[in-house]
Amino acid sequence: MNLKIVWMDFIYSVKGWYRSRGGMFWSLAFPVILILLFGAIFSGVGSSKYTLYIQDQDQTEMSRGFNATLNATKLFNINIVKTDVNVTSFIKEKNIKSLIVIPKGFEQTIKNSFMNPSARVNLSFYFDPSEQTTTQVIRSVISSILQEMNKNLSQGRTIIGVSEISTITENFNFIDFFLPGMIGFTIMQGAIYGSIERNTKYRKDGILRKLLTTPITRTEWILAKMLFMMFLAALTTALITIIGILVFGMTVNISPLVIIILIATSFLFSGMGMLIGRFVKEEETADTAAGAISFPMMFLAGTFFPLEQMPQFLQTIAHILPLYYVNEGLRNSMIYLNQTESLINGAVVIIFAAVFFITGVLLTKWKED
Amino acid sequence: MIEQRFKCPNCGEIASFFGNPGEQMTVSCTACNSKGRITIPVLAQNNNSAIEVSNLKKVYGDLTAVDDISFSVKTGEVFAFLGPNGAGKTTTVEMIESIREPTAGSITLLGKDIRTQFNEVKEHIGILPQEFHSFERLTVRETLVYFSNLYKKKADVDEIIQSLDLTSHKNMLYRNLSGGLKQRVGVAISLVNDPEIIFLDEPTTGLDPKARREVWGVIAGLRKKGKTVFLTTHYMEEAEFLADHIAVIFKGKIIAEGTLEDLIRNYGKSSTLHIKKCKNATDVIEMLKQEGYDEVSSEGNGDIAIKIDYKERVLEILSHLRHDCIEYESLDIRRSNLEEVFLRLTGSKLTEDKQ
Repeated sequence: MNLKIVWMDFIYSVKGWYRSRGGMFWSLAFPVILILLFGAIFSGVGSSKYTLYIQDQDQTEMSRGFNATLNATKLFNINIVKTDVNVTSFIKEKNIKSLIVIPKGFEQTIKNSFMNPSARVNLSFYFDPSEQTTTQVIRSVISSILQEMNKNLSQGRTIIGVSEISTITENFNFIDFFLPGMIGFTIMQGAIYGSIERNTKYRKDGILRKLLTTPITRTEWILAKMLFMMFLAALTTALITIIGILVFGMTVNISPLVIIILIATSFLFSGMGMLIGRFVKEEETADTAAGAISFPMMFLAGTFFPLEQMPQFLQTIAHILPLYYVNEGLRNSMIYLNQTESLINGAVVIIFAAVFFITGVLLTKWKED
Repeated sequence: MIEQRFKCPNCGEIASFFGNPGEQMTVSCTACNSKGRITIPVLAQNNNSAIEVSNLKKVYGDLTAVDDISFSVKTGEVFAFLGPNGAGKTTTVEMIESIREPTAGSITLLGKDIRTQFNEVKEHIGILPQEFHSFERLTVRETLVYFSNLYKKKADVDEIIQSLDLTSHKNMLYRNLSGGLKQRVGVAISLVNDPEIIFLDEPTTGLDPKARREVWGVIAGLRKKGKTVFLTTHYMEEAEFLADHIAVIFKGKIIAEGTLEDLIRNYGKSSTLHIKKCKNATDVIEMLKQEGYDEVSSEGNGDIAIKIDYKERVLEILSHLRHDCIEYESLDIRRSNLEEVFLRLTGSKLTEDKQ
């Protein structure tokens, strides 16, 4: 292996890229424009429906009745949390803004209250204090429902109360969600299309044939190109992160794990590009094929919008898409600082990267038939 | 006894001489007759052939693209591989360049078997692939430096730029060059390692006549420097203009091989004498036929065409004309060319197929 050749090829790739308006646009300007655009559109805009999580530990007619009443207000997207889930860690992991726990004995206490005037049961309302509007709306809705219930049950005496628990999760908003997704998406696009160009255009133009007759080895060539892809990934990440920090005041964490995920992402989608280029030999057709694969993946893998907003079957599909793990891995390691989720998603990205890159290299036809 | 080709230092003509290895002899040039001493090199057989191809075959399913061909290219010659599109030219040259795997047969470059020693050969060959298009956003000079850096053996990039007359374009991006310039850069790229053998696969396809002439000039320059050039082309005039040795490939087989002279002598029609605006043309034709010229024809307007087998015939005809005081405007002799050779070769082949 001649590292001088690798470095030289890398430098010339950067030169060519720097002179290409298209390359510069897609790897730098486009993600910046999207970040600014989406950031402006979605920051501070509350949705008309509030997402509310409910854990019903009581599982009685009365508790279900309470849920139904909440649902009937049509103000909430209600998500039921299973009874065996630990609420505190669930809130932390999923970055939940509002969650109500109906305690066990909810119905029993109400029934007892007819005999025992001091009987009292409290719902637990977990809320994110930074989400002021949401919390305010949910708080007032709950209190008016409870007021009505208390009035009916005991002529105004408080049987059902609320204990409020402030969750100390950080204030994450749309831009926090969007920024890591944008990084993953941009790296994906750069790697897929770059790889396709090398496997279709370079083949058609005779560059691959020419290189086969020069002393550069396949390993040196691939290494040089991966070096270039990682350079682009670093540049994209740096630029998007700086915008996030300066324009949106975000706190972004760049840890070794983040860097590993970024590198693995470059390998993953370069391998995917090789596979597309291997089976769709014409450059234009291969580009279309790449678009047909990467665009739906971008939407389905939760790049722009949280998966929770999508129907269940789409959420299932997301879990087989490599980009989903890239997005989740980057989000958890850069923004949410959730170590476990970062490691799990990171590991999945690395496995995907190994599989795609190795099959890509093995299946690529270097010689002509 | 071995054959060795020498180039005349006076007129550039290449001629073959036979002798034993190490033998010295005085010879005279077949073209300009100037005399000189030559030494038949020891091991000339090995040094002599840059490319040896034997029983090369490439089969794709039912199609035999290259059908058991053998040939050798001598050091320092321009070898043209001439044939129509789809004849198997590129398949052959790409097998020699180790880009395609042959179905059968063996290839040696500079005495090395490419199946096992191609990596050693890489430093000594330069290729221009068919329809080559280099990196769009590098300048001419950067492109040459890039490819030059891939080799241990390097030629001076600026010298190449100068010798291929690319100086005024050296800082232009490759994508902004005209077709002719792109091909010249392609040839330049194939020279960055100062190779002994240069492969040019259809270097002038798609170029206008002016650009084609420019590329020919470059290739002629390579020959002067003593490079071995393997040229594939479907242009007869390109092979005629450039090649020392021509192999005609048709439907995967070499159907004729030799120098231009050999091919014309063996396969071409004899030359034709044209008499322009001859007075009493009908009488003259009658007279010539009586004199024993079988193939005499009128071409209208008083023009007459007469087939001649050897050049002394021209003098005979002229003396007849003078003797009979025949007036005419002009005379010219047209030699048979490769175009005719090829038509004749493939035409007869096609007829055979029909039978």
